[in-house]
Parts: sequence; structure tokens; C-alpha cells
Amino acid sequence: MFFHMVLERNMQLHPRHFGRDLRDKLVAKLMKDVEGTCSGHHGFVVAITGIDSVGKGLIRDGTGFVTFPVKYQCVVFRPFKGEVLEAVVTMVNKMGFFAEAGPVQIFVSNHLIPDDMEFQPGDIPNYTTADGSVKIQKESEVRLKIIGTRVDATEIFCIGTIKDDFLGVISDPGATS
Amino acid sequence: MSSIEPFNRLVKLAARAFYDDITTKGENQQKIGRSDNRGIAVVILDALTRRQWVREEDLAKDLKLHTKQLRRTLRFFEEEKLITRDHRKETAKGAKIYNAAFAATGDGQQTGREGDDKQKMHTHSYCCLDYAQIYDVVRYRLHRMKKKLRDELESKNTVQEYICPNCSKRYTALDALRLISPYDEYFHCESCNGVLVAESDKLAAQELGDGDDNARRRRHEKIKDMLSKMEVQLKPLTDQLARVKDLAVPEFGSLHAWEARANAAGRSANGDLDANDPSKSSHGFGGTPMPYVGETKVEVAFSGIDEKGETLKSENASIPMKVLPPWMIKEGMNLTKEQRGETRAEITTGGTLTAAKVSDDKTSALANDEEKNIQDEYLKAYYAALLLRQSEQEETMKRQELASATISDEVYDTTTDRLVGMKSKRNEDYEGDDVEWEEAPPTGSTTKQFKVDLNEEAEASEDEDDDDIDWEEG
Ligand SMILES: [Zn+2]
Repeated sequence: MFFHMVLERNMQLHPRHFGRDLRDKLVAKLMKDVEGTCSGHHGFVVAITGIDSVGKGLIRDGTGFVTFPVKYQCVVFRPFKGEVLEAVVTMVNKMGFFAEAGPVQIFVSNHLIPDDMEFQPGDIPNYTTADGSVKIQKESEVRLKIIGTRVDATEIFCIGTIKDDFLGVISDPGATS
Repeated sequence: MSSIEPFNRLVKLAARAFYDDITTKGENQQKIGRSDNRGIAVVILDALTRRQWVREEDLAKDLKLHTKQLRRTLRFFEEEKLITRDHRKETAKGAKIYNAAFAATGDGQQTGREGDDKQKMHTHSYCCLDYAQIYDVVRYRLHRMKKKLRDELESKNTVQEYICPNCSKRYTALDALRLISPYDEYFHCESCNGVLVAESDKLAAQELGDGDDNARRRRHEKIKDMLSKMEVQLKPLTDQLARVKDLAVPEFGSLHAWEARANAAGRSANGDLDANDPSKSSHGFGGTPMPYVGETKVEVAFSGIDEKGETLKSENASIPMKVLPPWMIKEGMNLTKEQRGETRAEITTGGTLTAAKVSDDKTSALANDEEKNIQDEYLKAYYAALLLRQSEQEETMKRQELASATISDEVYDTTTDRLVGMKSKRNEDYEGDDVEWEEAPPTGSTTKQFKVDLNEEAEASEDEDDDDIDWEEG
């Protein structure tokens, strides 16, 4: 799920950036530092959408670095148990398949794949129904439901299922090509 | 205990539902030979519903089972939290306490076991149903069963688990990212690089004989089936659980507490009949009703004549035909009139008063002749042991035991019994009635000590023994 929220961070800036465009430099560095990171609490920071305030800088003894407390708005993505996501399959093996929804990695184990889909090993391993009408392989897009998340300080990993109504393949590159 | 019946029904239902085909396999692989005994678990549980605390040897005897086999099953039940067990080292004395308690509960006839009187320190195991726990265990079991089936059925919320067949390390699907291998399509153990096995696949393989993906589907059907069957077939059990829910759970307490209670109850049941029963006075010491009726039965005390008679009779009451060992018989004949009366009063509870009387008379007649001899023997043996002890007073108690034992087994036995007997206050009371020389009554406080194992009291008892001996000689 996406959230728009205000976060705060202490930015350290090298003295060489002190000048007319100090603020721009600060924002650029903030984006570089923060976007794409993941915190267990808030989830993945997808994008910074604005700066609320930049506080007074504090010069560090000895180094000349200055620390600015920055409040910024950002979009975060945080997967939740029970959430339905669309994801791209990245790997298929006998144990199930892995998929990515943006920055989040999701594993769908084979017992959460519909029973009528069988694993087919080979150059392009895939799960296929008996009549061959539905196939899950690398690059397939699937809609899945998250049934469990592992949230570490800097990482979120999910497991999902496609064994439910309206879940499964939403487009099959193999079928269109 | 009026509410015990519903609980017994619960136990019986649970036994049939869950333990019908228990073979205690897996407990130890070499015990496979036992697998033809399925059903025995139910028999044992049923038997336990008709008992309270029961010595496992007796239970085995009653069920005509081998003790080892019974123990194995009981151990299993203990693990299953259905029963509580108690093990204790005890001399004949402890066994007597239990016997008395057992008789007092009145359920089941007392199997005569005069032979037991001779046993030394043996570890005895007792077991008893733990109704409160059974109630919880059964409910928990049902809950787990249902939850497991439901989860597997829906399998929406189950996080797949993987297990390493080599080192038994467990993983969940959440670890998947760390477990993938670039070389093949399996998960690999982080520790030993073994190929992980999905747990449900393993189960499926066990149940269906093949682990392929079709198994999952069949398994699904099967689980659905099982769930609905479970609801139907376990209905009586769940009903019984609901019925029992608001009832007071029968509680027997620990073995010791139960013995005390049962003995007290047993005695108060006879209470009015033998108001003058000296054994009642024994309640006095220690405040709580100590279950020493049983103990009295056992005493082999050359002076503790009276009590012996009581033993004989109550045991005769249940098994009149049994031939008693001569060393016990001699005591019986020394009974005074009033004590005889008192014992009879007790016997009436047993039911076979006349038979008891007859056999008692008979035995006393028989024993009359032997008595002198045997008493002499006892005395001799006792003195021998005593002498030895005195000479070795500095030695540890343990050593003394051994030493006296070396004289002869019998000597050892007699001294042991004697010592135990002499120490109990109520013994003194008894003796006071008809033996005048008995004047060195250990006080109530010392009695406490003497109830303790003889081995530990050996030193302290030395003096007392001396006194007794002197009296006797005079
Ligand atoms: Zn391993």
C-alpha cells in the first residue's frame, strides 16, 4: 500500500556545497540518500515529493560538515498481509516462483499455486494448466495476495498466494507473442 | 466425587477416539514388537477410571499385563498429560499406607499381598488420572486437529515450511530468498546445503505414497473429507466436553495427600463402630489424620502384638483362604479381647466378617505353637543386630544397615520392621494397653522423625532401642 507522509532526516552537507544553491544541493542529496531505501517501519521510500522545512545547520567540530534537520514529504510503499498486488515474475522453480512488485520481492510457494497448475521444468521453467491455457513463467504478470511479510530493519520480504479467486496471470507474454 | 462419572465418560470417549490404535511406536524403535498390543491403551485408561491412585504393579496384576508393558503405556500417557505418576522409594511401611488408603476408597477389592510385607526398599510407581488436565488436553487436541485441517484446507494462511532432511533445520517460505540456489531449482539448507523438503509434501508423500504435485490435490480432497468426518465422529466427545464444562473437576491431589484423605475417610466411615479404636488416637499426632492404619498392619514387632492382629484380620477379610506366613500369624494370636472386637468392627466394612473370624481363629490356633519359637528367633536376631550396631555406633548409618544385613537377610528384615514399628507413637499407645513394661514412649515429636526412613534415623534410634531391649529383658 502507498502512503504519502512526512519524514525527517538529519542531512550532513560538505562545506564545499555552501553557497547560493545550498538548498538545491541539500534536496538532491536527500533524494539520492533516501529514495529506494527501505525502512522496516515505513516501508520503501518511493519518491520525495517536497521539502517541508530545513532547520538551522549545526557545524560539526573538527570536520566543518554541517548537519541540517530536514522535513520532507514522500511516497512510501509498504506491503501488508492480505493486500493484493500486481507483480512481475522474476524466477520460476520447482518450489514456486518469485515475483517483484516494485521494490518488493514476493515468493509464491508451489502449494499456493492452484492445484491444476503443474510445474514444467526445462529452459523456461513454468507452471502450466493441464490444457496449456494458463502459463506462469519469467516475465509473466500475476496478481497475487500477500499472506505473510518479513520486515527487517532494512528489508521487507513477502510471501504470496495466487490460489484464490481473481488471482493469477493477468497477461501472458508467451500467449501474445 | 459425585461428578466423576461424566469425567470418566470423557476419558473413555477420548481413549477410544485418540488412543485406540496407539502402539507407542517411535518411542523407541526396538519396541516395534509391541505393535500387536493396540487397544491396550484403551483398556488401561478404562481401568484407571475405576481407580484413583493405583500402584502400577497392582494395576498390571489386575489387567494381567506385563509390568513393563504397562509402564511403557503409562509413560506414554504421562507424556500425553493424561495421568500423573508418582514414584517413591518405600519399605513395606509405605506400601501399607497405600494399601490402607486403597482399601478405604473401597472401589475394587483389595488383593491380598501379605508377601509384600517382606520387601525392602523398592521404588514403587503410582499413577492416577488427572481429570483437570485431561479436560484441557482433549480440548487442545481437538482444537489443534481442527486448526491444522482448516489451515491446510484453505492453505491461504499457511506459510509453507521447509525442513532439511540432513540436519532437521526448519525454514519458512519467508526465508525463500536466502535459500535459492543458482544451480538448481531447489532450496538448499544454509548450514549443510542439503536439499530442503517442503513439509506438507513430506506428509503427502507419507500418506499417499508419492510426492508429486497430484498429491496435493488428492490431499486436499482427503483433508476436506477428514474434517467433515471429524466433526461427525467426534461429536460425542465434544458433547461430553460441553457437558463437563461447568462441573467441578474431580481432584485426587498428590499421592500422599490422597492417601491421607482416603485413610481418614475410610476410618471415619467406620468411625462410630470403633470409637475406642486406638488407631483413632493416632490421628492426634501431627494434627492431620495420618494414614497409619496401614502401617499397623505391617508391623512385625515382637511387642507390637496387637496391631498385627488387626492386619491379619483386615487382610483375611478380603481373602480368608489365604495362608499367612507364620511370622505374621503369631502376632494375630496375641490379640486382646477388646482389640479383637475393634478389628471386627473394621472388618464389617470389608463385608466378610464371619469368614474373617473363622480364619483368624484358625490361624491363631495354628500359630500358637509356633509363636514362641518365632519370637525367640526374632529376639535373637534382633539382639545380634543390635549388638553389632552398638559396636559400630560411630559408623555411618548406611554402613550399619549393611552390617546388620550381612548377619542374615531375615535379621535385617526383622530389625527394620521392628525399628519402624517401635517408633510410632500410636504403636506405643497400643502397647500400653496390654504390655506393662512398655514405658519408654517416644514423644510425639520424636514420632515425626521416626516416620522417616529407617536408614536416616538409625543413629538417633540407637538409644531408644537400648531402652526397649532393657525393658524386655527385665
Ligand atoms: Zn541442513
